[in-house]
Amino acid sequence: MKIRFVGLGLVIIFLCSSPAHAGAPLDTVQVNSNKVLDVLRDPKLKPASAKEIKKKKLEVIYAEMFDEVELSRRTLARNWNKLNDAQRKEFVHLYHQVLEKAYADKILSYTDEKIVFDREAVISANMAEVYTRIITSSKEIPIMYRVILNDGTWRVYDVVVENVSLVQNYRTQFNEILAKNTPEQLLEILRKKVKAS
Amino acid sequence: MRILKLIWVPAVLYAFLFAGCAHGPQAVSTSAPQAESLQLRLVSDTTGSEPPDVKAPESPSPYDDYTDEEESLDYPEEGAQADLGKIADPIEPFNRAMYEFNDRLYFWVLKPVAQGYSKVVPESARISVSNFFSNLWSPVRLVNCLLQVNPMGALTELMRFWINTTIGVVGLFDPASSEEINLQAQDEDFGQTLGFYGVGQGFYIVWPVLGPSSPRDMVGRIGDYFAYPISYLDPWYVWSAVRGYEVVNDVSLRIGDYESLKDAAIDPYVAMRDFYVQYRQKRVEAKGTKPKPVGESAETRPSPTGPMDRIFPLNREEP
Repeated sequence: MKIRFVGLGLVIIFLCSSPAHAGAPLDTVQVNSNKVLDVLRDPKLKPASAKEIKKKKLEVIYAEMFDEVELSRRTLARNWNKLNDAQRKEFVHLYHQVLEKAYADKILSYTDEKIVFDREAVISANMAEVYTRIITSSKEIPIMYRVILNDGTWRVYDVVVENVSLVQNYRTQFNEILAKNTPEQLLEILRKKVKAS
Repeated sequence: MRILKLIWVPAVLYAFLFAGCAHGPQAVSTSAPQAESLQLRLVSDTTGSEPPDVKAPESPSPYDDYTDEEESLDYPEEGAQADLGKIADPIEPFNRAMYEFNDRLYFWVLKPVAQGYSKVVPESARISVSNFFSNLWSPVRLVNCLLQVNPMGALTELMRFWINTTIGVVGLFDPASSEEINLQAQDEDFGQTLGFYGVGQGFYIVWPVLGPSSPRDMVGRIGDYFAYPISYLDPWYVWSAVRGYEVVNDVSLRIGDYESLKDAAIDPYVAMRDFYVQYRQKRVEAKGTKPKPVGESAETRPSPTGPMDRIFPLNREEP
């Protein structure tokens, strides 16, 4: 009798959970974050010489986890329309490098931090927010990921750290630059930034 | 010589002391930008110089044009206004100069001092010091919870103060935040209270030493000053020294945060301004601080530091 109920329960669970998002947004974040942690904690990659290898591995994970084009479009918002196709492609590329330079080393410096995956909030059929926290010895940092479903895959397009949206922060900066400069000049500023750092 | 020292040290510290003004930007702009963006949309609707936004949604290329609808989906609470979170910056040249000044002050003075200090004092001790001061900020948080008609928040603060002052050994530890008790500090201050009643930020202003602020948050800071017990230390240089020490201790716990923000920015001044605006706005919107979700969770949670507090070390204030 009991077993039957369990069986029925399982069937119901399967039925309910089959459609596209059964925690899929949260999975995207969780699975990839755990991969990052695996890389960071891999004893074989401990020596400082392995830093470049680690960076390569992180890059692969990043590509799976983030929707770069979406991230770029939303950062530029209406200004995106001012760029032609070639400029858009280059922007995506440069923006990627800016972010990589800014955050790769930071991420590599993490070791014994803990990540807690709290919950996901579905915003619409193809958008969701995933709430996480990074816990370090001295502080706890809430990080929220905005994820979007494109081509059947959930990917991150914005990271909100302690209520401050990365996309919005860069958007403000690019808006300001594009108010006085052409898209080409913006790209030039980014090229310099990438080279300099 | 001694006198000089007496004057100089407190002068710098003085600045820190008053530095709480992390208080908020916020709704300043709610109505104005709304109108602005509406207007923008109207204009673009009628000019027709741009290709129509409506593309066949069946086969969207990721490189497609951006539409306002996406914006509203993206940030539902903000509607289609990409401009929200903006703050007027009429005195930008002055602000930029002050930003430069504070930047140097951080790298030349505050950071070396904090680094030296953290070499001598272990992190656990510094966290306890931070907890101790955080506990003393309780009156500020409590009063502002009350002012914002948040009795639960006020009660939480009262309980926290009682628990941390007794079990937490005069506030050196923060058992109230532990998973078992789960009473989180309510991040409220007077600037937020003003925001709660609809007072806008006004405009952006960067004070030397104190950092990013606005007229509203400046008033907020002055209000908080009176609710913070340390303010009543006498004579003034004792107060200055204590407050200065608090700042150095806090900075020592988050060296590197300002650096990463700066490195990541294309225009650090604008990045900082936006940071300040977003951060303060969200803090006004958030009513108190909810208990942590149950489940796996933090071990120790020292003081409630937000990014502003970390990124604007000079600008630190506890609530």
